[in-house]
Amino acid sequence: MSRPTDERGAELRQIFFESAQELLESLNHAALKLENQQGDSETVRTIRRIVHTLKGDSAACGFRALTNAAHELEDALAEESAFSHAELAEIAFRAADLFGTMVSSYRRGQEPSPKKVLKNGKSNKAGSRRKAVRPTPASQAAAVRWSEYEQLQAESAVQQGKHVLHVAIQIDPGCAMPIAARQLVLNALAPVGQVLAVRPEAPSPKGDRLLDLLLASGRAAGEVEGKARIPTVVEKVSVRALEIAIHPAPEQGGANTASASQEQSQASYTGISAEHIIRVEATRVDIVLNLVGELIIAKSMLQQAYTELLPQLPKETSRGRFIDALGFHARVLSDLQRSVMKIRMVPVEQLLRRFPRIVRDVARECGKEVELVIHGADTDLDKSLLDVIAEPLTHLVRNAVSHGLESAAERVKSGKSARGRLQLSSYHHGNQVIIEVADDGRGIDPQRVKAKAVEKGLISNEESARLSERETLDLVFKPGLSTAEQITEISGRGVGLDVVKAVLEKLKGSVEIDTALGKGTTFRLQVPLTLAIIKALLFRVGGRLYAIPLNAVAEIARSHERDIHLVENTEVLQLRNSVLPLARLGHRPTAGTGDKKIFVLTIDTGKRKLGLLVDALAGEEELVIKALDDETVSSELVSGASILGDGRVVLIVNLAAIVDRFSTTRPAQAGGALSGLLLTESDRATAAAAGEGR
Amino acid sequence: MMSSPVRVLVVDDSALMRKLIPQILRTDPSIEVVGTAIDGKFGLRKLDELNPQVVTLDLEMPGMSGIEMLKEITRSRRVPVIVVSSHSTQGAAVTLQALALGAFDFVAKPADVSARMPEIAEDLIRKIKAAAQSRGMQIRPLPEMRPQSRNGQAPKLGPSRIVAVGVSTGGPHALQVMLPQLPADFPGSIVVVQHMPEGFTDMFARRLDEMCSIRVKEAQSGDLLLAGRALICPGSRHIKVKRLPLGDVVVLNEEPRVNGHRPSADVLFKSLAEEFGPKGIALLMTGMGEDGAMGMGNVKAAGGLTIAQSEESCVVYGMPKAAIEHGFAQRVVSLDLLSTTLQAQCGPEQKPTADEAKRGAGAGSN
Repeated sequence: MSRPTDERGAELRQIFFESAQELLESLNHAALKLENQQGDSETVRTIRRIVHTLKGDSAACGFRALTNAAHELEDALAEESAFSHAELAEIAFRAADLFGTMVSSYRRGQEPSPKKVLKNGKSNKAGSRRKAVRPTPASQAAAVRWSEYEQLQAESAVQQGKHVLHVAIQIDPGCAMPIAARQLVLNALAPVGQVLAVRPEAPSPKGDRLLDLLLASGRAAGEVEGKARIPTVVEKVSVRALEIAIHPAPEQGGANTASASQEQSQASYTGISAEHIIRVEATRVDIVLNLVGELIIAKSMLQQAYTELLPQLPKETSRGRFIDALGFHARVLSDLQRSVMKIRMVPVEQLLRRFPRIVRDVARECGKEVELVIHGADTDLDKSLLDVIAEPLTHLVRNAVSHGLESAAERVKSGKSARGRLQLSSYHHGNQVIIEVADDGRGIDPQRVKAKAVEKGLISNEESARLSERETLDLVFKPGLSTAEQITEISGRGVGLDVVKAVLEKLKGSVEIDTALGKGTTFRLQVPLTLAIIKALLFRVGGRLYAIPLNAVAEIARSHERDIHLVENTEVLQLRNSVLPLARLGHRPTAGTGDKKIFVLTIDTGKRKLGLLVDALAGEEELVIKALDDETVSSELVSGASILGDGRVVLIVNLAAIVDRFSTTRPAQAGGALSGLLLTESDRATAAAAGEGR
Repeated sequence: MMSSPVRVLVVDDSALMRKLIPQILRTDPSIEVVGTAIDGKFGLRKLDELNPQVVTLDLEMPGMSGIEMLKEITRSRRVPVIVVSSHSTQGAAVTLQALALGAFDFVAKPADVSARMPEIAEDLIRKIKAAAQSRGMQIRPLPEMRPQSRNGQAPKLGPSRIVAVGVSTGGPHALQVMLPQLPADFPGSIVVVQHMPEGFTDMFARRLDEMCSIRVKEAQSGDLLLAGRALICPGSRHIKVKRLPLGDVVVLNEEPRVNGHRPSADVLFKSLAEEFGPKGIALLMTGMGEDGAMGMGNVKAAGGLTIAQSEESCVVYGMPKAAIEHGFAQRVVSLDLLSTTLQAQCGPEQKPTADEAKRGAGAGSN
């Protein structure tokens, strides 16, 4: 019976880890809200509810340390909390961090060390306003509560003319018989009065170090004290007269009980709204998606086979029905594919909601004031992409706050508001999702970037002179430059931007910079909506089949080799009224082939237009991308491969990388280098993909 | 005997709990979880859609909270609700509010839930079954009560009689009906054993104290039995009454559970019989099981008065029924008339006679 229980436990823990993540994000969110809108007790309730759920969940998983920490925080958040809202926000932040570390150590299977949420020993307990009879504050004596009956006894003793003394005794730590000490003290006091009560009520097996007695006596306090002071047994004695209340009135709670305002607590977590939420492992969805991919390939094969079979079929057979069936099949398949894709889509909000907290923290560290604006949090994005871009995005945001934005003083001096503004926006653009990180800070100075690049030996002086502004800015993503310490102070950027770029390229996305000196910088991340299936345009270069995402192609032009001109070492084509720079994917033909027909695919990345020179077009196709691992393809120019219905392998060209290569390398060399590279890579990748496809 | 499984709806905002609770309930074939909901709004929708017999409800939820959902249920539907509650000061307060609103019962999640899971699971399953067999939510929500004036009346020593009350499921609501009806100068002293876990009784006592003219407090060892005061036994302690030279007191102890309960009504009733004989009144109210039934016998034998709450006013008719079946209940009184009966029995002109047992009537009309 233990195994299934273990499995169940593991499943529960898995659910816990996922929901804990969401809870912690909500906690940060609410804490931030509280910090900005102090006095909003609704938010305090929201925080409390989040902590409450976390506590319950962790308790169910047996995560004691976390349960206790959450419990402590929950108490601090009680209605009659001793903390101000500012303090509570701070506590909640700290708690979120602490819980986060605890959750991750549980995730690793380790037991976190128990921690305190509240550092300052401030207790939230509403001061217990007890009117109980109590001696004037004597050391620990204040903790003793005499029962109603004992108080009644005291009262009655007073009425009989005795006085009632509270005798507090500390047993000598060196006393050899602590258990007997209690009895010795009681014996010693018996002659001078009547012991009404003793605390602790019963002797403990270990012996008690502290004894509190209630003594009704006719003797003076000094005499009692003398009796109680037994050498080597009793270390300290304090004797005080007990103030007697005339009637043992039961203590009055008055208005200090929790109010019924509980019922109004209904703020909502951001994000949790759907009625039915099923949590499944992402890999399960991936498996389905993969199968759908295979189905699409199967569909192509079926159609291919049918086309080949068609001429041999007699007209009167069920050809019509066969065609209908194929059409229906294709339609359902595309619906199926769309539905599966949707499963993987999650709002970018899941990613963006961590940023208010990060921005706040970084701004605090740097002593800056930053206003964070988030647009388009409801934009959908493939979940796997979301996870991967989280880190680069965080990087950009941190950079923007710490380096992009100026200090308040500097801003005021240059006529800006003291408060810096950071905007995170997200929107769909075709089959792409764009995420922008825009600050209104100091901007990047291209001249200084150039100077730095030359100094570092990344480019020659000569090259530097020729670089356009855009090309210059792209230097920021060079590893050599970005890891240099100094770049930070020069450009305000540079820490690990090469990593950002690398991640995005791996995702078949891109990153761009827009900047204006003194006005601010925008980083634009562009990622495909999904990784798995694309509508592609197939074309041939040098006898091989390639594909590019269809949505990237703005226009297809037909032309001849002789219409291509060389301007400043760049091949260009005059297309209507503009001149289009070309990137040749194949080898440049030898002389005398001016009549050769060529196709130019105009690629519009928004910032840049570029013509891809290809030999022939081979139609449109829905491609299921098979990822190629890094060992198979070392070039970022190819982002994946796919298998067509007839079993042929097609390589998917990484547009972002090509555009990038084109703009950073001198085009004249680029053409050759590019084509060469692409071709050699193709051979290896084709072999690999074909091998896998079988 | 068991026809079809009890249909249960689980309402909880924690994904974990929505997994865990059905898992627990699945271990019992006579219970079927027909659905789960993430908050009150969806809970209500599913309630109409799935028509469950019992609802388990988390009170702290975003959107429509459990309390609001409960109010809605009491307004229009009569599905018994079991609150799944956590151990905290706030948790106790809301839980008690829910019980006052008419929740059938609650299950407390202690901090070490995972370690005590079997115990909690059993508790939950037992309560769900009892809820399914009850006649739904027939309790009217309590009117909003303002603390009544006490006219400077303070509890006094020397109560006329000692009223020991044993109550379980449905008790929080029933006590909130009965105790506020007693006047501040009620001459008897009341001791209540309400089956309720530790941590809830203090809040419960405070809540009652706010509602009642008599004083109510959670009992501590050595508290005096005063006229015009009710002492609520704290969870996981037994309580006994005791005569002492200067006054009568209650004494708490942590002896083993009796009838599966601590506090146990039998323990209280037996001490009442031993210490107070004919001066004692034992009142056994709504609740599952048989706790208190035998103790009623002791009180009766010692010459005290024994009263059982009438069937139609009970949420669960287990304990009173057991006492009646043993022939230990001298009177059977409906909830509405309990306070009048107690006043009559404790009042100055009281004369504990063997009047014909007054049958409770007129209750349960809604």
